[in-house]
Amino acid sequence: MIKAILLIEDNPGDARLLREMLKDHGAHDAEMTHVDCMSAAEKYLVEHAVDVILLDPGLPDAQGLGAIRRAHAAAPRVPLVVLTALDDESLAEQALQEGAQDYLIKGQIEVRGILRALRYATERKRLERLKDEFVSTVSHELRTPLTSISGSLGLLMGNAAGSLPKPMARLLAIAHTNSQRLVRLVDDILDIEKMQAGGMVFNFSRVDVRPLVAQAIAANRGFAEGYGVRVRLEAARAGADVRADPDRLLQVVTNLLSNAIKFSPADHEVVVAIEKGADTVRLTVRDHGPGIPVDFKPLIFEKFAQADAGDARQKGGTGLGLSIVKQIVDRLGGEVGFADAPGGGTIFHVQLPCWDHVASLAIDRDAKPEALRLLLCEDDLDTALTLREQLRQVGFATDFAYSAGDAFTCAAATRYHAILVDIQLPDGDGISLIVRLRALPQYRDTSIIVVSADTSRGRDDLRSSKLNVLDWLNKPVDFDRLVQLLVGPVAHEVNRRPRILHVDEDNIVARALGEIGDVVTVNSIAEARRALKTSDFDLAVLDVALAKGVGPNLLPELRDSKGNVIPVVVFSADGANLASDTQVQAALAKSHTSIDSLIATVRDRLASRATSSSQEVP
Amino acid sequence: MTDIRILLVDDEPDIREVVDVSLGLDREFRTRACASGADALVTAAEWSPSLILLDVMMPLMDGPATLANLRKNPRTAHIPVVFLTARTQAGEIEQYISLGAQGVLSKPFDPMTLAASVRSYLPPSAGHHAP
Repeated sequence: MIKAILLIEDNPGDARLLREMLKDHGAHDAEMTHVDCMSAAEKYLVEHAVDVILLDPGLPDAQGLGAIRRAHAAAPRVPLVVLTALDDESLAEQALQEGAQDYLIKGQIEVRGILRALRYATERKRLERLKDEFVSTVSHELRTPLTSISGSLGLLMGNAAGSLPKPMARLLAIAHTNSQRLVRLVDDILDIEKMQAGGMVFNFSRVDVRPLVAQAIAANRGFAEGYGVRVRLEAARAGADVRADPDRLLQVVTNLLSNAIKFSPADHEVVVAIEKGADTVRLTVRDHGPGIPVDFKPLIFEKFAQADAGDARQKGGTGLGLSIVKQIVDRLGGEVGFADAPGGGTIFHVQLPCWDHVASLAIDRDAKPEALRLLLCEDDLDTALTLREQLRQVGFATDFAYSAGDAFTCAAATRYHAILVDIQLPDGDGISLIVRLRALPQYRDTSIIVVSADTSRGRDDLRSSKLNVLDWLNKPVDFDRLVQLLVGPVAHEVNRRPRILHVDEDNIVARALGEIGDVVTVNSIAEARRALKTSDFDLAVLDVALAKGVGPNLLPELRDSKGNVIPVVVFSADGANLASDTQVQAALAKSHTSIDSLIATVRDRLASRATSSSQEVP
Repeated sequence: MTDIRILLVDDEPDIREVVDVSLGLDREFRTRACASGADALVTAAEWSPSLILLDVMMPLMDGPATLANLRKNPRTAHIPVVFLTARTQAGEIEQYISLGAQGVLSKPFDPMTLAASVRSYLPPSAGHHAP
């Protein structure tokens, strides 16, 4: 039963028409929400449950396959039906491959048909989900008996139970090899399932392709020898750096290599070549095998695709290798393909974005000169480019940092208006990056906004520390909220954590004060004076016993850089007040006051200071 | 020479046996096996193993819950725990480490190198404690 439909459509006329027609055709129970751009849809999907999405992929902020991918990524479990004026059969096919359940053409379909399509899409999605869950469970359940089987066989083969007579060893070797093949198959199925469910994490970094390929070749040497095949590496020049996840790229190269080896006749050569182009690095793997049959070419990247049903048994493959290759290369932002090799055999190629090309995108050169410059620490290039485009519309220039190291270098060299930090960075977590940034004097008060795909991790670190993070946004980013944070006065004053000068030796009090502001704790008058010279404070908490005798002398010095009086809360053993000075807003005795009520008092004083303007110089 | 005591916790009897033989390839290892988290808590407190090899998916008390209970008891709180898991979800290893595990080994494992892998997680003092 469909209750909630999300319509993503930028033409208000079409949206209105559709809503009325749905109502006329008895879809009374279905509630239709209409949004007119992808970012609004992404935001809506974060907060609301939807039964089905109806998408016109010609939106102001996302078009065609890009729009379909984004809608699918925002809600991978929700059925997606494309409704478009564009009658393009090849786009329709790709749409289905990118996760859409149906592709309808405006004008060719009546309302009854749309309603039926929505119902069918929902059912198809439900079955797909059941299948995925089933695959995941079964794969896990298979590993348990496989552990016992391959473990026992491994022990026998390792002569852990004594040496084996030859005929027995031969049969056990067959069982052992095949149990390992089964393990690989289960791993591959899990990989595919994980990638489809969006559960595979990619950690991008700068990868030199040459040593990585050499590593893959070395790892497959024994395998190649088994087939009597030589593997040769042809690398034109050094310095073919790409932006990729090295582990995943290794998986790609290994799968291509093992295919090429398996299909090569004995005494032939597999040639791996690396070529550097202007914006891309191209990796090719050439075999001298029988070539790919014409009928099979369109199916080659499909799951469980094998040219000949006997192949799987004969070649020891799983039929999943190339499907995994394709999915990984897509996620790496690259392209994979194949061609008949001249003189027989096949050449597979993988093309990946050059590191230099990606690095050249890091600085936003197209923004207006007066634009305020932001730094976005984000390792996913597509996400970064989309956000840059959106931010440019509202007058910002956005530089990228792909790692914590990059971010720190950029920040030190340029003065940014604000910094957006993804918590998960390839070379370290965002939290420690923020700590390092805050240590730079020019970034002590700069707005830092955390952007995270992980809704739980790190939040507590932020709350309990002095990182002074302006806000925490979940992915996909609520763009309106982001702009609000970036332009509002919010960014500077209202949300700034108050700064408290704490003249005492009491660590417990210091920690408690840390919950409400940035605390500088000093335990002598001299240190207090130094702190006052280098920072402005909103409030001082003073133990008079410590400042005995000197306390009254310190009071007149408690002023910020503009000369404004810093209000004082006295917290001392006896609660002694320093005369009836108006600067002292409260005097509390340690023996009679709990930490909680001290904190409440401090909070209260800070609040009243924020609402009334700060006190003038008397 | 003092034995290195390894406590294995897994609900699958066959896996217990295979692990037992695999660990037996290291002559210094002495292995005991428990079939449930609850048994493991008792045995760990009595026997003081040098390391606990803990299955993740078990009925009633699973691996993470067993680890949490081991950490609560002062007699077992310090014992290093290595998870043995058939699940390979992204972020899983990180998650177990954050729970306080020393490491994660995946199933199926290579029986001929399992003992060496386990050894790499032992604290330097293991094998020299008083019995």
